[in-house]
Amino acid sequence: MNQAPNAHPPTLNVESSADATTSNVKHRTSNILWRILDFVIGGIFIYAGALKGLDPVQFASDIDNYKILPWPISVVLAFYLPWLEIFCALGLVFRFLYRGALSILTTLIVVFTLATIAAKVRGLDITCGCFGHASQHWSFASHLATNLTILAALFALGFSNRLRKPS
Amino acid sequence: MKFLLARQAAVLAAVALLPAAGEAIYFRNNISWRSAIAPSEMVTLEQARAWGDAAIWVDARPDDEFARDHVPGALSLNEDRWNELLPQFLAVWSPGKKMVVYCSSLSCNASREVARRLRKEAQLSDVFVLEGGWEAWLKKNK
Repeated sequence: MNQAPNAHPPTLNVESSADATTSNVKHRTSNILWRILDFVIGGIFIYAGALKGLDPVQFASDIDNYKILPWPISVVLAFYLPWLEIFCALGLVFRFLYRGALSILTTLIVVFTLATIAAKVRGLDITCGCFGHASQHWSFASHLATNLTILAALFALGFSNRLRKPS
Repeated sequence: MKFLLARQAAVLAAVALLPAAGEAIYFRNNISWRSAIAPSEMVTLEQARAWGDAAIWVDARPDDEFARDHVPGALSLNEDRWNELLPQFLAVWSPGKKMVVYCSSLSCNASREVARRLRKEAQLSDVFVLEGGWEAWLKKNK
């Protein structure tokens, strides 16, 4: 009943070895692509966090423009959120506390998107503040499109992370 | 799994607190914790009126609102046409004048933004935001 591994015909062994190599190459290529996406999304959040962190007074004003939170809370968030974004982005880039970083960034982008939609519905003409003054003249549509693209990328990274094996 | 995720998120949230606290200390003199506009940058209608000819009234509302009505003698300077209107404003401005910027109401942000840009980009001092904005003016001038 027990068959030795070399009992298979030699051709089958060659085929299965070729399949394994192809699968390995595919797996490694896929891992590289996901890592590139980690870097891109991480880079975007580091850039956004740094711009806001350099001018917290302006960012506090941008948060206050949404008319959702009292001013002192806007100030606290203006000091805190840029650093949270930067640390989570570094988590993505260096794959350090990866799941936690992904979940925080996803939550942040969902909250930003909902706040933007709420502001639009309430007729507020606001500066989104997402990329400091660089995003000052963004339209609502481009703001929303950017947020949804980043959100989709974060979901994709979260999903891929479940399937990814260490390379 | 969920515990691990929550623990990782908690670690990141806690680590971010440290530089945030440092930055809050560093910027402590640049931001007011009580109001979006530092009290020293606000002016009441009575104060602004008392300045008389020493004050330049700046209307930060959109063009159509300015065209409808505005504070007598006010100059329009809004963010929509900032590059176009700023040179016109600077031609009228003279050193020693106090600028009183207003927008539609207490809750609008345009006056705050225009005042900020006048200080930062045009390097002007003595820029004040009118408390209550155009609504406050209308109320007192009915």
